[in-house]
Amino acid sequence: MSSKSFEPEITAFMCNYCGYMAADTASALRIEYPVNVKLVKLPCTGKTDPRYILKAFEDGADGVYVVACPKGNCHHVRGNERGELRVEHTKRILDSIGLGGERLNMYFLSGGQGKSFADAAIEMTERIRELGPNPLNSTS
Amino acid sequence: MISEHHHPAESVLVVGGGIGGMRAALDLAEAGLKVYLIERDAGLGGRVAQLGFMFPTHDCVLCRGTSDHGYGCTRPAISPAFMDHNRHPNIELMTRTQITQAVGQAGDFRISLLHEPHYVNPARCTNCGLCAIACPERLPSEYQESLVTRMAVHKSAPRSLPDSYFIDKGEYCEGCHRCMDVCPTDAINLDEEPWKETINVGAIILAMGYSLTDAFELAEYGFGRYLNVVHSMQYERYVSRSGPTEGLLLRPSDNTPPKRIAWLQCIGSRDQKHPYCSSICCMYATKEAVLAKERLDDVHCQIFIMDERAFNKEYNAYFYRSTEQYGVQYTRCRISDLREDPKTKDLFLQYPDPENEGHIREDRFDMVVLSVGVQPPKGAEMVSSQLGFDLNQYGFCQTDKFNPLETSQPGIYVCGAFSSPKEIAETIIDSAGAAGDVMRLFQNQLGCSFSTREFPFLSDTEFPPELDIQDQEARIGVFSCRCYPTMEGVIDIDSVLIKAAGFPHVIHTEEIGYGCFPEGLEKIRNSINQHKLNRVVVAACSHRTHESLFQKTVKETGLNSYLMEMVNLRGFCARVHPHQPEAATRKAMELIRLGVGRAGVLEPIYKAAIPPHKRALVIGGGVSGMTTAVSIADSGFDVVLIERDEYLGGNLQKIQYLVEGENPQLLLRDLVNRIIAHEHIEVMTKTELLEHSGHVGAYHAVLRHEDGSQSEISHGVTIVATGGEETRVNHYLMGEHPAVITQLELEDTIAHRTDEISNLKEIVMIQCVKPVDETYEYCSRICCISTIKNAIRLKVINPDCQVIVLYKDIITYGFREQYYTEARERGVLFARYDENHPLQVEQVNGGIVVRMQEQMINRELNLHPDLLVLSTSIQPSKGTKELANLLNVPISNEGFFLEAHIKMRPMDFMEEGIFICGIAHYPKFIEESISQALAAAGRATTILSKKPFHYGGTVAVVDPEKCIGCLTCTRTCPFEIPRIDDQLTGVGDLGGAAYIEPTLCHGCGTCTAECPANAIQLPNYTDDQIMVPEFPVLGSWIKL
Repeated sequence: MSSKSFEPEITAFMCNYCGYMAADTASALRIEYPVNVKLVKLPCTGKTDPRYILKAFEDGADGVYVVACPKGNCHHVRGNERGELRVEHTKRILDSIGLGGERLNMYFLSGGQGKSFADAAIEMTERIRELGPNPLNSTS
Repeated sequence: MISEHHHPAESVLVVGGGIGGMRAALDLAEAGLKVYLIERDAGLGGRVAQLGFMFPTHDCVLCRGTSDHGYGCTRPAISPAFMDHNRHPNIELMTRTQITQAVGQAGDFRISLLHEPHYVNPARCTNCGLCAIACPERLPSEYQESLVTRMAVHKSAPRSLPDSYFIDKGEYCEGCHRCMDVCPTDAINLDEEPWKETINVGAIILAMGYSLTDAFELAEYGFGRYLNVVHSMQYERYVSRSGPTEGLLLRPSDNTPPKRIAWLQCIGSRDQKHPYCSSICCMYATKEAVLAKERLDDVHCQIFIMDERAFNKEYNAYFYRSTEQYGVQYTRCRISDLREDPKTKDLFLQYPDPENEGHIREDRFDMVVLSVGVQPPKGAEMVSSQLGFDLNQYGFCQTDKFNPLETSQPGIYVCGAFSSPKEIAETIIDSAGAAGDVMRLFQNQLGCSFSTREFPFLSDTEFPPELDIQDQEARIGVFSCRCYPTMEGVIDIDSVLIKAAGFPHVIHTEEIGYGCFPEGLEKIRNSINQHKLNRVVVAACSHRTHESLFQKTVKETGLNSYLMEMVNLRGFCARVHPHQPEAATRKAMELIRLGVGRAGVLEPIYKAAIPPHKRALVIGGGVSGMTTAVSIADSGFDVVLIERDEYLGGNLQKIQYLVEGENPQLLLRDLVNRIIAHEHIEVMTKTELLEHSGHVGAYHAVLRHEDGSQSEISHGVTIVATGGEETRVNHYLMGEHPAVITQLELEDTIAHRTDEISNLKEIVMIQCVKPVDETYEYCSRICCISTIKNAIRLKVINPDCQVIVLYKDIITYGFREQYYTEARERGVLFARYDENHPLQVEQVNGGIVVRMQEQMINRELNLHPDLLVLSTSIQPSKGTKELANLLNVPISNEGFFLEAHIKMRPMDFMEEGIFICGIAHYPKFIEESISQALAAAGRATTILSKKPFHYGGTVAVVDPEKCIGCLTCTRTCPFEIPRIDDQLTGVGDLGGAAYIEPTLCHGCGTCTAECPANAIQLPNYTDDQIMVPEFPVLGSWIKL
């Protein structure tokens, strides 16, 4: 597949609070963002388990990102910070297995930031488009 | 339209749908009373809905509860009860409604209401927005403080409640009917007429809030003429992430980030026209400056201020942080002149140069923020004459010192800023307190209006018995809304449903026009029954707005609510990808595939229920403890009141008179008499708490009495009211010189041995005296008024006596400002000192000498007082730490008990079932202690009045057989809930395994993701339910 025609397929985990509210705000304000982002709801990004992220890559996702409440303003006080530690840990795993940690990212948004939510989707799509498809997809 | 409201007079009317009204309504509803909540505007939320951040924690108000954001907070603060499809069954919400007439008395008011039309039927509005696109009339947006515009057809805020559009049909609306023509659901009726109805209520709570000082009124500051002069609420909208710039701070004239911002304090406060203090501006200006510093590099923030009134928990530390960490500059003066450079639109301020004595300097600023004050709410006079209660001289609601939440009219209560300017935390205390005060009037009706939290939605109805689906194969039905016109032209619903029919376990697919309309819900229910579905996927809109509606719908067919999975086609697809219909259709299929995958592994979830012990334990017998005990007992529940000392009364025993004139000893006698006579109160003096265990609804306590004997009680709630005390210091000659005494000692002398002070020539009072080794600075809040009270009394006794008060900041917030004014009028002298100009107190030839550097006149003063009176700080009572350990509740930096949330839950502990009031929470005035005591009583009564109390559900569960006891969960939990229970047996039959108390767990799942043994699961979000092992939906996409 040439990288020009490549449309990344991305999984975004988001918390049920700011993450989901930011997506809702984007919707309420009709802010467009790339279409190939699949949104998966978690009760809190503190629930982010490296296995969930790895499963998404194993299933074939080209990129994964996590949308959490702003730091210091997590609905569950510091669930987002625990989640961030695990995202960082998973990036190292991705580096070590050759998938590349840059395919994974985390954003901290407030529920009112519909525009920033869309920007996150745009940024990740552009980044993954540069990186190319998930290597697991081409080997199968 | 004909009125359909037939609630009995046992219902309560709450006037005002801001944060106070909502809090009061929710507490009353939870106590099982019917509530009418009326709001003049089109949506709930009031002022708080416009704020982005709260001081001092910078918590985003979004999450902590505003109508703007759907009250999505699941913490029991202000919570899902105010989502449109999950309203509290006991709350009848009426927006655009006002009182027109009132007759009757406490227990039996007949109130005539006028409902102004919305012109849009909320039950038929799907928020598609076509009407606003069609509307030709553009107007300034009230919600965004006129910084941007809105259409005449609009929503008051993006997520208002009611969650629908409404038409501002003022003169500008020409009735062009374009909105009506485009509305796909015929929800608009421009010919709707206002209608009246009469309701019968037993009590009324006024939560009418406040209005802002009109910045145009003070023409000298150029508001409206100079583009870069904004008022503080406009500034709040700029920095709010739901504001017009999503939080980007730009100066209005050229949309560039400002480099120099000035805040002018006391705009419409502490002046001739408004002689009171607005209480909130010092702190919000500090917050606004810190937010600027956080967002803009190298921005200069300067606040022109008279006194920094940071008089609440953590506020003083926040103030210091703003200067030391963020570099916000405070200049002590009041700006009276401001001019604009017409070319650059820059602003110039003149003020006395603090570094160059006697000189005026002029500085340039990019932007000036006017810290506008708090005024009585609009319509206050009208409502006061309709309901027959008094306003005070400032136009706010008149209250009594010892009945701070009652108006002059029996049966009518007041809370929040309508009784005096106050901030969010105080408003929440007031509102919960007014609700608590009302509950005691209705003791026989508490719990009568049934509502339950047994399900994930609030309910008051019976449901069919639940079907047992445990052994059944998944039979999934997929329902998709067409939601015309939202999906139209974007998602091809027919193709999506054809595709969905091929997904595993899907045996039925169906398109429904509008799933959320009654006819749509009926179709879903019928199909569930007809096809014997045991899992349901509803592809519609946002979980946050509609999940509870569909959960309830499946429950009505006998399925467990958690067997329903929602897919947000509208929010995650149709509305955000309108120009890519093919790709959007594929995404819709993909989202439904994910939903079906998850639905196949959903399991029923149940909450547990316990009937609460109908008894409260109150710890502490001061004014707070006694008030809370009487209030709970009046509501009909047993109270055990324990007091460490021999007598009831606490600090109230030492208060001889009050600045307002009331006699505190009468209050003391009254409370003690009521306590002793009350059939529901058992008093135990000389008794202390020894052990405390259990959880909300089922606590167990061991008490130790004076004679060493012990007794045990079982109770449902615990209230901490252990108070505080004057600190003892050993500097400023305290204890060395007999003429150095504390304010409390002076008060005792004035009251009982007046002759000892009646001939003194000079008395010096020093404020803010704390022990030398105490490093954490906080404002004890009540000392300035005690000092002013005693100073006035001394001047009355002997006008020739020179009384000099040495202070840092005078804390006379609200209407207390008048006593500061009175003291100065009587000739009391006030001189400011600070850390950079410390005081020196020495003994010279047997006399006292106080030396200070007076900053206004820049000279050293030597004072030779006959009496030196120290205002020493207030500290928590002895034993506070030990009690906190016993109850397993936290302590704040100041050493007082730490509540669940400093703004939104000031009378709750994080542990539901334990409450706090009075000085144990923070130093406060008698009326503030009474309000908080009533608030704690009201919150406690909501629990005690529940028949069964439901808890658990989607909370983390440990499988002890997998637990290795590594303590990871105990370290990870943001709320410190997991603990090792030595009664449990862990992996390998070793003693001890983790236990997570279901009444306390918040269900975030942080522990489940961290547990190395994978021993913890969160129902509804189990690993299988997220990863769906047999069905690769998490990462793969459908190939078309």
